[in-house]
Amino acid sequence: MIERVSPVRRAREAGSSIRPRLGVVKFASCDGCQLTLLDLEDEFLALTERFEIVEFAEATTNRSDGPYDVLLVEGSISTPEQAEEIVRLRRQTPLLVTIGACATAGGIQALRNWGDETDFRAAVYAHPEYIESLAFATPISDHVAVDAELRGCPIDPGQLVELLTSLIVGRRPQLPDESVCLECKRRNAVCVAVAGGFACLGPVTRTGCGALCPAYGRGCYGCFGPREQANARGLARHLQVVEGRAPADVGRLFAGFTAYSEPFRSMVTELGGVAAPGVAPGGGPARESHDA
Amino acid sequence: MTSPSPDNANDEQKALATTLRATWFGASLDDPTIGRLSALARRRTAKAGEVLLVEGGRSDEFGVVVTGRLALRMLVPERGMVTILTVEPGDLYGWSAIAAPQRATSTVVAIEPSELIAFDGMDLRLALAEDDRLAAALYPRVLEAVSRRLSATRLQLLDLFTHREPEAW
Amino acid sequence: MVSAPVATVDPTEPIGFLPRPELDRLIEALQADGRRVIGPTIADGAVVYDEIASQADLPAGWRADQAPGRYRLEHRGGVRLFDYVVGPTAWKRFTFPPRVPITVGHRDGGAVTFTAAERPATPLAFLGVRGCELAALGIQDTVLMAGPAVDSDYAAQRAEVLIVAVECVTAASTCFCTSMGTGPEVRSGFDLALTELDDGFIVRVGSPAGADLATRLSLAPVEPERRAEATAAVAATRRSIGDPVDTDGLPARLLANLDNPHWAEVAERCLACANCTLVCPTCFCTSVGQRSDLDGQESVAERAWDSCFTAGFARVAGGNFRPRTQDRYRQWLTHKFATWWDQFGSSGCVGCGRCITWCPVGIDVRAELYAIAGSRSGARAAAIAIQPPPTPTPVGPPVDPATMPHPPALATAPAVAAAPKAPTSPVRACIARVVSTRPESPDTTTLVLTDVDPAIVAGLPGQFVMAALPAFSAAPISISRYRPDGIELTIRAAGPATAAITQLGRGDQLQLRGPMGRGWPVEAAYGHDVAIVTGGIGLAPLRPLIDAILAERERFGDVRLYYGARTWHDQLYGDELDTWAGRPDLEVALTVDRAGPEWFGRVGIVTHLFDRATWDGSNTVAYVCGPERMMQATVETLGDRWVAQDRIWVTLERHMECGVGLCGHCQMGRYFVCRDGPVFNVAALEGIFGREGI
Repeated sequence: MIERVSPVRRAREAGSSIRPRLGVVKFASCDGCQLTLLDLEDEFLALTERFEIVEFAEATTNRSDGPYDVLLVEGSISTPEQAEEIVRLRRQTPLLVTIGACATAGGIQALRNWGDETDFRAAVYAHPEYIESLAFATPISDHVAVDAELRGCPIDPGQLVELLTSLIVGRRPQLPDESVCLECKRRNAVCVAVAGGFACLGPVTRTGCGALCPAYGRGCYGCFGPREQANARGLARHLQVVEGRAPADVGRLFAGFTAYSEPFRSMVTELGGVAAPGVAPGGGPARESHDA
Repeated sequence: MTSPSPDNANDEQKALATTLRATWFGASLDDPTIGRLSALARRRTAKAGEVLLVEGGRSDEFGVVVTGRLALRMLVPERGMVTILTVEPGDLYGWSAIAAPQRATSTVVAIEPSELIAFDGMDLRLALAEDDRLAAALYPRVLEAVSRRLSATRLQLLDLFTHREPEAW
Repeated sequence: MVSAPVATVDPTEPIGFLPRPELDRLIEALQADGRRVIGPTIADGAVVYDEIASQADLPAGWRADQAPGRYRLEHRGGVRLFDYVVGPTAWKRFTFPPRVPITVGHRDGGAVTFTAAERPATPLAFLGVRGCELAALGIQDTVLMAGPAVDSDYAAQRAEVLIVAVECVTAASTCFCTSMGTGPEVRSGFDLALTELDDGFIVRVGSPAGADLATRLSLAPVEPERRAEATAAVAATRRSIGDPVDTDGLPARLLANLDNPHWAEVAERCLACANCTLVCPTCFCTSVGQRSDLDGQESVAERAWDSCFTAGFARVAGGNFRPRTQDRYRQWLTHKFATWWDQFGSSGCVGCGRCITWCPVGIDVRAELYAIAGSRSGARAAAIAIQPPPTPTPVGPPVDPATMPHPPALATAPAVAAAPKAPTSPVRACIARVVSTRPESPDTTTLVLTDVDPAIVAGLPGQFVMAALPAFSAAPISISRYRPDGIELTIRAAGPATAAITQLGRGDQLQLRGPMGRGWPVEAAYGHDVAIVTGGIGLAPLRPLIDAILAERERFGDVRLYYGARTWHDQLYGDELDTWAGRPDLEVALTVDRAGPEWFGRVGIVTHLFDRATWDGSNTVAYVCGPERMMQATVETLGDRWVAQDRIWVTLERHMECGVGLCGHCQMGRYFVCRDGPVFNVAALEGIFGREGI
């Protein structure tokens, strides 16, 4: 396993000038995570010197069905073809890295998992019989073993570079599993929950974005997904009991980009919040109906 | 072997009793128990490589190691026979002979020439069934030995005793 | 560091009155001295410390309504500048910044260099430091400068800070400085102190620098009515706070309640989000990360604020010593209010109340202390309006140690047990070179190193070094042999950093920092029998001890080595084991966990090597090293052999980053494993060795 994560080092030490083969593939997603790789600009060029990009439809006409040394996978599995393709791809690479909320958590499209997919199909398409999709939109890890994850919607460019650097250098990638709150406090952002009354998922969400949304004065959407031992139930209880929010409103907070990951999933199921339209996640202050 | 005359038998038993008392197993047993056991026991030797019990087979011999070393082995088909414990002088083997279902829990092999005090399984079971005092003296000591093995096995199972897995990340 | 007041300066005696419009003169004077003036400003709905240009930048007429989990800034009008009490930021943001580069590493093939990152100190003035905050600065001074290792950048920056303190004439409902003895009065530790009245400030001088500043201000004389007004205002503030936390015997009461079911109840509410630790002005835990280029040739080691609530804080290869939220909350509370005393001679809490306000779910530490540790003076907690937890669960009454048969040893200094040998030299860094390598087992390699700093070569058995390569985290490695011209390190490739070190070849370099920690006390065994019990790679830190014993063999009685390995392939130092076993004056017993038919030795656990031995342990000193579970079982079994606990030495492992007691990661109860250990006397670990989640 240690060998597997430093293909570049291994190749270099063997005196080889062959660059490891990097692939980037996409399932059901918006494409934003792949774009993050291209948005690296100069660093992207430096990466192309160290990896041979053999498959990246967004960026090159070079195509390859494998094998790969490293495969970045964006998107959730939503159709029968995708479910087969991911299994085929898993066999093509020793190192499969999922990138983004769709691939790691199912994405926003996983909200359909609480409803009936046939109803959605009928409502959206004139000829629903032409569309073949699975009842559930699921993360990659529900289908194959995943070696590493980059979370986020989209992923953070710094974390992407860190992951690829760690492959080259051979070190453990520094992707801390701590709450967004640490980053807010380090960068001197005032807590939107305590000072502004906003509902914020930061305390139960994994860091990685640099506390983007709270730094702009709104609550965290949870797009990096639940962190280790996230006490979603405790936060939900506080929002309802102390701040007086309605259960469905609290459920809607968790019903976002990473709704399908536990423990957010249980909160959505128990509290509701996917059925009716309402306040967007990370939205405005609670009703000031409690006494401090 | 000389034919057992009453005198010979008595000397033999006394010698057995002395040997038994000097082992860990026999050290805490009272005189009547030692006497009863010595009457039932016989000395035997095991050559290096000799198999005393087969894993899964019927267990009909209970014994105490005086000198030498026995290996308790289990078959792991991908790896062959794996030794999971050795029995040192003073300790017992074949406790399964006096516990239902009298099935050996491992293969017992002498890995050195060994001197043993051995008991026929059936004879010992009958004696324990008839003699409450013997049972009351013997079973706790056997339980102590088995309990020591159980704790060791648990720690070995947890694999926390000497080693931890490396991590890639 | 604030200059000590000279004999002519009385910090409690007002020297003048500064009319309100003249505050700008003070600010200008500080700026003229080349200082950046940091003061309270309004930003994003809170009072945040930032650089100010003049008093117009100060929050005139603003107050903050604070409660557990709630902070609302209100503009009340008026001219008062300092009625806001404390906000989310602490002054440590400027003296102990959230992210700083500490070293730059460079790697070129096998050659490495490390240089300290440049961090020049900036002359600063802090305007508006409250009593609790002054105390907090003093506490961080002790933590970061008064120990065996000094944070020299902190010291340099701290020396460039001039403090203008402010006495509180209002309080928030979350304040409890009165209970912690830190306010609201401001008595010392400042350069200038101001007490705000409607038309100006009563000024006191606390140092020569303050006295100098005062001469550049146009101060009016202090009229008795103004003085009385100020005194009355501060006294009224004190009364409004009351005394919400009973600190009488609090450390002992807390430590007597480590198993109180209330910890689990808090853990149901606590989000382990780390906010409390990051707003706390005394918390000092940090982590070091590597920012490197793509190839790992150039790497900056960056130190950032961390928290004992994070997942990685107590993680080691193979697990996490504080896996549950309740373990982490207990660590925070007992460290802040109890073991801080053992480590630094004071409480870690100054009663500023930030952790109460800025907790997203409003956990109130005053209520939790009462729930867990009770109160000797009755239901003081009832005197404040404490928000009850949403789903209170019935818990048993807190344990008062006064009613327990044996007071726990934790809160008091360890009794008679001799401490392991203290380090003899300060820590040095050097670039060592690999002379040769020797594989010991499939995953363990010994490196023979030269170009090692003489201080490290002169280290003691049981000490360790932090071994580092650029772009990798540093690893704590015990020194496994001392040689005339260097040292040996035996390293198990447990993760990428240690794997990289084991892959070094002849001529390659790496950085060593050391020698660190306290070593095995060899003299403790003079005239005694010795038992050395070890498992796996645990033999490596014990090898220098064995070398030392054999070098003076005649000073010891019977010496016995008991060594268990997973399989015989995993045994270290095979040739040496044979040599040792061949000595008539050394008893060596080996065992493995499992073996194939080619092994004729013992199979079983290491305690089986001596649990039925007949030797009398009442004159034995024992040294034990291995996985912690193994050491626990060994200590029990040694006890059965009549080896007294205060004669058993173990070496512990915790997550280590700095190795010198500054980053906070390796704490175990009141100890820093890197600095107070890693070798410990078992009697000194009573109550924490073998306890879950410590």
